Amino acid sequence: MIRELSYIDVLYLIAATRWTLALTAIAFLGGGIVGLAIALLRVSSLAPLRWLGAIYVHAVQGTPLLAWLFVFFFGLSIFGFTVSPWLAAAAAYSIYAGAFLGEIWRGCLQAIPRTQWEAGASLGLGFTQQLRYIIVPQALRLAIPPTVGFLVQLIKNTSLAAVIGFIELTREGQLTTATTFRPFTVYLIVAAIYFALCFPLTQWSRRLERRLHVAR
Amino acid sequence: MSLVELKNVVKRYGENTVLNGVSLSVEKGEIIAIIGRSGSGKSTMLRCVNGLEPIQGGTVAFDGTVVNDPATDLRKLRQHVGIVFQSFNLFPHLSVEKNITLAPKVVKGVPPAEARTLAEAVLRKVGLAEKIDAYPDQLSGGQQQRVAIARSLAMQPQLMLFDEITSALDPELVGEVLKVLEEVAREGMTMMLVTHEIGFARKVANRVVFMHEGKIWEEGPAAETLGRPHTPELETFLSAVLH
Ligand SMILES: Nc1ncnc2c1ncn2[C@@H]1O[C@H](COP(=O)(O)OP(=O)(O)O)[C@@H](O)[C@H]1O
Ligand SMILES: [Mg+2]
Repeated sequence: MIRELSYIDVLYLIAATRWTLALTAIAFLGGGIVGLAIALLRVSSLAPLRWLGAIYVHAVQGTPLLAWLFVFFFGLSIFGFTVSPWLAAAAAYSIYAGAFLGEIWRGCLQAIPRTQWEAGASLGLGFTQQLRYIIVPQALRLAIPPTVGFLVQLIKNTSLAAVIGFIELTREGQLTTATTFRPFTVYLIVAAIYFALCFPLTQWSRRLERRLHVAR
Repeated sequence: MSLVELKNVVKRYGENTVLNGVSLSVEKGEIIAIIGRSGSGKSTMLRCVNGLEPIQGGTVAFDGTVVNDPATDLRKLRQHVGIVFQSFNLFPHLSVEKNITLAPKVVKGVPPAEARTLAEAVLRKVGLAEKIDAYPDQLSGGQQQRVAIARSLAMQPQLMLFDEITSALDPELVGEVLKVLEEVAREGMTMMLVTHEIGFARKVANRVVFMHEGKIWEEGPAAETLGRPHTPELETFLSAVLH
């Protein structure tokens, strides 16, 4: 059944965007927690902890996100677990984003010269105190652009959640195209919505970076 | 009991033996100048004293505590041993005040108001009272180094280690830093200072230690050792740095 593309379809697309946003939020939150743990493992002074972090990162970065979505949604059901799409998405995206954010943040932590750690240690600060008062505040400024860059990727990558049943922005676009046969217009609108989400983020990141730079 | 006691210290980086049986005692109130060619192990020796470098042999003791004992709480030890580096190593994201008060607040639990007073006091000592709210990158190299000294002093250490603290400075800024060092020395601080300023070493140090190939090659009272070297290596070194 073919029908005309109307403003109602645009509203549906905008409504579907809320799932894109919700998925992004979950992925970023879960990934942020996992990523923080991974980054700290990776700069730990204990070699086995560093290896643990490295194995995690390489394992996750070497496998597609799609596979993790399948594993949690369909894979676990084979063993009799029923996993809600939300739980499966949260798990898969946290694992995936955690590896990438962990690597980004590790790089930022390691970009701070060793001598800064040493200066802190020489004043009697412990490892956690050095991290908290000396290393993290400096690494934070370095971390903003790549973190926001990854967040923008994440927004776009939430479209993969369509495979486990989420009707987010891209999927809604597909469905609208199927009924209206107006792919060009529909996907132009879809692209415009993604742009409206991502562009302000990068702008905000630039401003924040500048502000932190002025405040050192 | 000596304040610092190094006995037969051996330090290796892989195959490279950097300290090859170094023994040295430093008494309370003594000022030791450490001289020697680049790569002779001077920095490494200093860094062993506050436990920044693990050692492969011998013992390092500070005030009766064995630094290289794994059971030693290095954080506690380092509250009593200040170190100032060639490259200042100020915290660039913190103001001068925060650079100075961070450790007293976080490590010793000094309340903020008291910490500010402490920062003012040590800054006056290094002649930078008016820079308390500046950031490191607004200061000249000499000023940054004086803040680094003030930061160390704020922990009220029993021993200060100085590693070529004027080597990264433009020549015209060396004087102001040496003046501060002299002031600290006059107050009776025990100091171990690596330096290429032979004139300064002669004037301020009680004892001079000459390092060569990871060993203490020659040591003795400052004027005597610098005036009449016993070994050809020290003689060669002195004529190289003095000309
Ligand atoms: N972190 C390190 N890794 C490997 N070798 C090092 C390290 N630090 C110093 N060395 C080596 O140890 C030797 C002594 O260095 P150092 O104590 O810095 O000498 P100095 O301060 O007298 O110039 C040098 O040969 C140097 O290359
Ligand atoms: Mg050196």
